[in-house]
Amino acid sequence: MLAYTLRRIAQAVPILLLVSLISFGIMQLVPGDPAAVLAGPNATPDELVHLRQTLGLDKSLLTQIMIFYGNLFQGDLGYSIILGEPVLKVVIERSPISISLAIYSLILTIVFGLFIGVVAAMKHNRWIDQVAMAFALIGVSVPNFWLGLVMIVLFSVHLGWLPTGGYVPFFEDPIGWFLAATMPALSLALMQIGLLARLTRSTMLEVLGQDYIRTARAKGASEPRVIIKHAMSNVLIPVVTVLGMILSVLLSGSVIVETIFAVPGIGALLGNAILGRDYPMIQGGLIFVAAVLLILNIAVDVLYAWLDPRVRVQ
Amino acid sequence: MTHRNSKNRLRGLLVAGAMAMAAGPAYAELCGNVGGDLVLGMEAKLGTLDQHVNAANATRNVAMNIFETLMTRDENMAPILDLADSLDVSDDKLTYTFKLRSGVKFHNGKPLTSADVAASFDRYSRIGVDRSALGSVDHWETPDGATFKIVLKEPQASFLESISASTVPIVVVPTEQASAEATRLEPIGTGPFQLEEFVADSHVKLKRYEDYKPNETLESMSGFAGRKQACVDTVTFRTLAEPGARLAALETGEVDIVEDVPTLSKERIAGNKDIVQTQLKHAALWLTYPNLSEPPTDNLKVRQAIQAALNLDEIMDAMSDGSYSLNPSFQFPGQLYYSEAGSQYYNQNDPEKAKALLKEAGYDGEPVRLLTTRDIPRLYTAAVVMSEQMKAAGLNAELVVLDWPTALGMSVNETKGWNFFYTGWITVTAQGGAQSLRNLADPSNVHKPKDNKSDPQFMERFNVLSTSPDLDERKAAFAKAQERVFEEVMAIPFGVTPKNQATRANVKGYVPFFNTRVSNIWLAE
Repeated sequence: MLAYTLRRIAQAVPILLLVSLISFGIMQLVPGDPAAVLAGPNATPDELVHLRQTLGLDKSLLTQIMIFYGNLFQGDLGYSIILGEPVLKVVIERSPISISLAIYSLILTIVFGLFIGVVAAMKHNRWIDQVAMAFALIGVSVPNFWLGLVMIVLFSVHLGWLPTGGYVPFFEDPIGWFLAATMPALSLALMQIGLLARLTRSTMLEVLGQDYIRTARAKGASEPRVIIKHAMSNVLIPVVTVLGMILSVLLSGSVIVETIFAVPGIGALLGNAILGRDYPMIQGGLIFVAAVLLILNIAVDVLYAWLDPRVRVQ
Repeated sequence: MTHRNSKNRLRGLLVAGAMAMAAGPAYAELCGNVGGDLVLGMEAKLGTLDQHVNAANATRNVAMNIFETLMTRDENMAPILDLADSLDVSDDKLTYTFKLRSGVKFHNGKPLTSADVAASFDRYSRIGVDRSALGSVDHWETPDGATFKIVLKEPQASFLESISASTVPIVVVPTEQASAEATRLEPIGTGPFQLEEFVADSHVKLKRYEDYKPNETLESMSGFAGRKQACVDTVTFRTLAEPGARLAALETGEVDIVEDVPTLSKERIAGNKDIVQTQLKHAALWLTYPNLSEPPTDNLKVRQAIQAALNLDEIMDAMSDGSYSLNPSFQFPGQLYYSEAGSQYYNQNDPEKAKALLKEAGYDGEPVRLLTTRDIPRLYTAAVVMSEQMKAAGLNAELVVLDWPTALGMSVNETKGWNFFYTGWITVTAQGGAQSLRNLADPSNVHKPKDNKSDPQFMERFNVLSTSPDLDERKAAFAKAQERVFEEVMAIPFGVTPKNQATRANVKGYVPFFNTRVSNIWLAE
């Protein structure tokens, strides 16, 4: 198991370097000029040229690559052009926000997704199954920005239960964090709940038709014991694989939700960096996101191997 | 080296003019109540507070409550002294001597001296975005700690307009900040509020600067100048980019002021007695620039045909949801240089005339590419409506839709691949005649004349506008230059939109302006 884990970590290093190179190359190819964005449309040509020099944007591509990797190998991701702060510092400040939101969303996804999926499978072809799958379909179909706005009107304006947005650090005020993060987390989670419920239902139906389940029932095991002890362990194998992907989506795909709810996470940071052509911030942010996703994938693979001995043998 | 023969005492003129324009209660009554946290919901995300290198409204909204300038603009956007107490101009108009207000301190406790002003001008001339404002300066000097002297190479009538311009203001920072690299300026100013916390994409929190020394030459605030008082303990600028969420936060009382109320939401909140709506009537001028270097808009007749085809009422109505006014000028109504010269070419809505002009031009259906962006919905809508009107007049209009940085970069760096670029002027128009037409004069990033040389007749009038010492002559030159812009179709102004804002009913003293000012505002019990 340890050898397997170390092998997966070793494979991650070249992937990370490749991501950094691709992100650097893509940003150089994308048109747009951070100096023009900063200076606005009314700057004179001389003022723009001067600002480019000031920001170091006039250097050759080779020089920029050498500076970038020279700094990267020293753990320095450079300075943000727009924020004027070290990229690493900003990313470290923002990542707990996105990670805590993603974890909250993941918990909602697991709890509601598994519950709905299992109940739907147990009540197969009955009205509960129909309602559960209709809910899952709505979850998959409804855009999260629309859901976010509807929730703001309902829970903030009309009911006054939750704040319209913002972020409260968990360790400063856990209740404030919970109240502020609930609507963004729900907006992010709803689609994933729908996906997980559908997957859980279909996998559970398949497992419930297996001989060993019939044997367990024939031996007089109670229905909860059949579901929890015998069926769930096999249902979880594909579910765990999907959960890794879901967490990746929750971590990297929250730009719109973070914008609507004014959450200063990595998604909003990267979105603004792209709009402002803040090259160092985009590169640093992408490397960070890639690193987190790689770690997640390794964790999922290790968990998968732990759940399914066949993977370890292979 | 100064050649001052006699003094023109501008101080009296500037102060008297501003006092006449300044509205508001007397100083003792500036704060009906003291204390509390004022929360503002801002539409645009703030990147940096380095006011020397950023032209964004979002930066000014916050930074101009932290920093102050030697000269700034008053309520009517006329130049006015702020950190300076008096200004003497030599008879030869080459030397400007500013005496600084006494007792002013930076947020780090250090007293303001002329060395700080010189250091700020040094930094601005090194990296300031609008450093061409100092292009006519030979040098500056600091004869003593309270005197700052600027010596010009040659007289420039619009010099005070240039150094007081508020698009990228020359804010005064402590000497030790003069070497700060672009975007890395520490926000230490002399304003009534100092920075407490800045979390980009989330909020900026300011707190009252207890040692603030107000400018007592005016009874109240005028523009960015005058008597300012921090009535509230703290001010929180929250970034709420989504309009619906921003308005919801106002309705729930989470924010006290919202920077922008969508036109379609105005009616919905009109019945809410906890909310007061306000408006800055003339806030932004929307326009399009033709590319004079790219066929077919290199042909004057084609440009005139397009100008003739446009129904600007339709364009403005669509882009502003009905909240607009037509404006045949590059200045807002009521401004010093406002003129309707050339208005016969404005809003012609005459497709038949357009067709005749196209025939005269020998137009053979070449594509006319409208470069726009969905990032700023108004610019996209303007391009869509304009393209349909052009098609109705027989033009082959094509939309080129890119994200804002790409579209802006293309309009600045390329003369190929586009024929019209869309933008909005906010402070540019408000700064005055010369500043608004500067975008069409040499050298310019946005105007793309043939051979990179602007129209000689326009330049002749623009030079008079920029250099004449006589105001009437400058105003006449502006009118003639504007007329030339219409004749040559160097730009097409669409119209003006207001800035619709709203506050909670307990917010008192708030006056809409081109940028947000949080002084002299208090929260009623």
